[in-house]
Amino acid sequence: MIELARMIATKAVSPVEVVRAHLDRIAALDPGLRSYITVCDETALAAARAAETTLMAGQPLGPLHGVPYALKDLYDTAGVRTTGGSRVLGDRVPARDATVAARLAGAGAILLGKLNMVEFAYGPEGLNPHYGHARNPWDRGVHRMAGGSSSGSGVAVASGLAPGALGSDTGGSIRIPASLCGITGLKPTYGRVSRAGVLPLAWSMDHVGPMTRTAADCALMLGAMAGYDPNDASSSVLPVPDYGAALTGDVKGLRVGLLRGFFLDGAAPAVRAAVEAAATTLARAGAVVDEVSLEQMKVVAAASTAIVGAEALAYHAELLRTRAAEYDPDVARRLRLSAFISGAHYVRGQQVRGLVRADVDAALARRDVLLAPSTPIVAPGIEERQAALGDGPADVRSALIRFTRPFNLSGHPACALPCGFTDGGLPIGMQLVGRPFDEATVLRAADAFQRLTDFHVRRPVLA
Amino acid sequence: MTNDPIDLETLRRGARLAGFTWSDAELEEIRPQVEATLRMLRALDTVAVGDAEPTTLYRTV
Repeated sequence: MIELARMIATKAVSPVEVVRAHLDRIAALDPGLRSYITVCDETALAAARAAETTLMAGQPLGPLHGVPYALKDLYDTAGVRTTGGSRVLGDRVPARDATVAARLAGAGAILLGKLNMVEFAYGPEGLNPHYGHARNPWDRGVHRMAGGSSSGSGVAVASGLAPGALGSDTGGSIRIPASLCGITGLKPTYGRVSRAGVLPLAWSMDHVGPMTRTAADCALMLGAMAGYDPNDASSSVLPVPDYGAALTGDVKGLRVGLLRGFFLDGAAPAVRAAVEAAATTLARAGAVVDEVSLEQMKVVAAASTAIVGAEALAYHAELLRTRAAEYDPDVARRLRLSAFISGAHYVRGQQVRGLVRADVDAALARRDVLLAPSTPIVAPGIEERQAALGDGPADVRSALIRFTRPFNLSGHPACALPCGFTDGGLPIGMQLVGRPFDEATVLRAADAFQRLTDFHVRRPVLA
Repeated sequence: MTNDPIDLETLRRGARLAGFTWSDAELEEIRPQVEATLRMLRALDTVAVGDAEPTTLYRTV
């Protein structure tokens, strides 16, 4: 995105050419990939023509002037339907943009369309029976999971159908598809980016953030999106730093805590080896790497289930009473399940949440970032239900969210990025976790790693 | 909450109290998952939370 923005600003390429090329690629490839729910051909081209006019008139340009991107289909977009990946809201057309959509438009970005997702963001596999299961582009033979819930965002960016996208992350829904699709995704600190106008899954756990090919592109998008919003009660008043300026490429003296125990022990052997190799890469570049364990991880699943289940049911209760037949049966089943979570469970989960946050804070007291796998496994086939982890078998759903959801509970920023490939050519992802509101250091470490490696520049072979 | 299996009548009552009128078939379908979820949630009772207050204010700064 940075390079596209530069080429457009210097008139090396026209925004109309860029947008048209992406629309052509979507038309050619997306029927097989199913990453988009709605493509905004006409409005995107009109915006590109307007961007070209502004450019040629020599008027001031935003940092993303003329650069196309796409939104997970739970961000409200004025005049463009926003389905949440559901049939229930299949005809819902919002009257106004989500705050972040408006901010990206203000920065000059052009919306290509709305991306596929798990219905109402409730699931990590990336499956959607209504709009089709997005296809992981890294295996042409086997239909593998894209990861979710921001499945379309992962597939579109990995496949070159959008240079950048937004996802949302309640238990890992940005970082899981980033890991399985071999791209970079940032879950910012809770409160860093406005959630106003974004369909909720669980208000207290939802984070919104960018999904791109590089950490530098994430920094560019984050800078355009972040900041206080009076329409989001959880929005922070902290000023937004210059994330691009933080990307020095230098990790000398950066203190990195490699998360052992729950994380590395639970990872499949190939994933563990790739993350350990990444730690070595950072150490050779001058980072000070040590090992650390988090103590409260065994109760993360229970606390997350209590909080997400209760909040999700509160949002869906009325629709579930009146239109349950229109839900994905699997999503409806899990929502029904939440009716048996008590108020005491919910409050206890919120108490435990404070302990998990303190646990992560303690690990970061003498370190700048923590390093862990994003997912314990690489992309499973869409029919797979069991996975072999480092510490035994697990069902695929709980495996996929195991390493990501601790940081939804804690609210710390976490950036997922590729750190290797299996012998079969599937991407492996790691995540870097930082102190609250210190996305700059997280992105600096991720960008430095990408300057040292080439995992993020590899592309899937598409027909 | 005990480790005992949950019978259909308990599920009916729980759903009714939560304001839902689900069929017996729908309740039977989720019964194993309800039992598994309640087993998992019991882990919350094993944590020494001390005086920790529930997280109710999310704006940290």
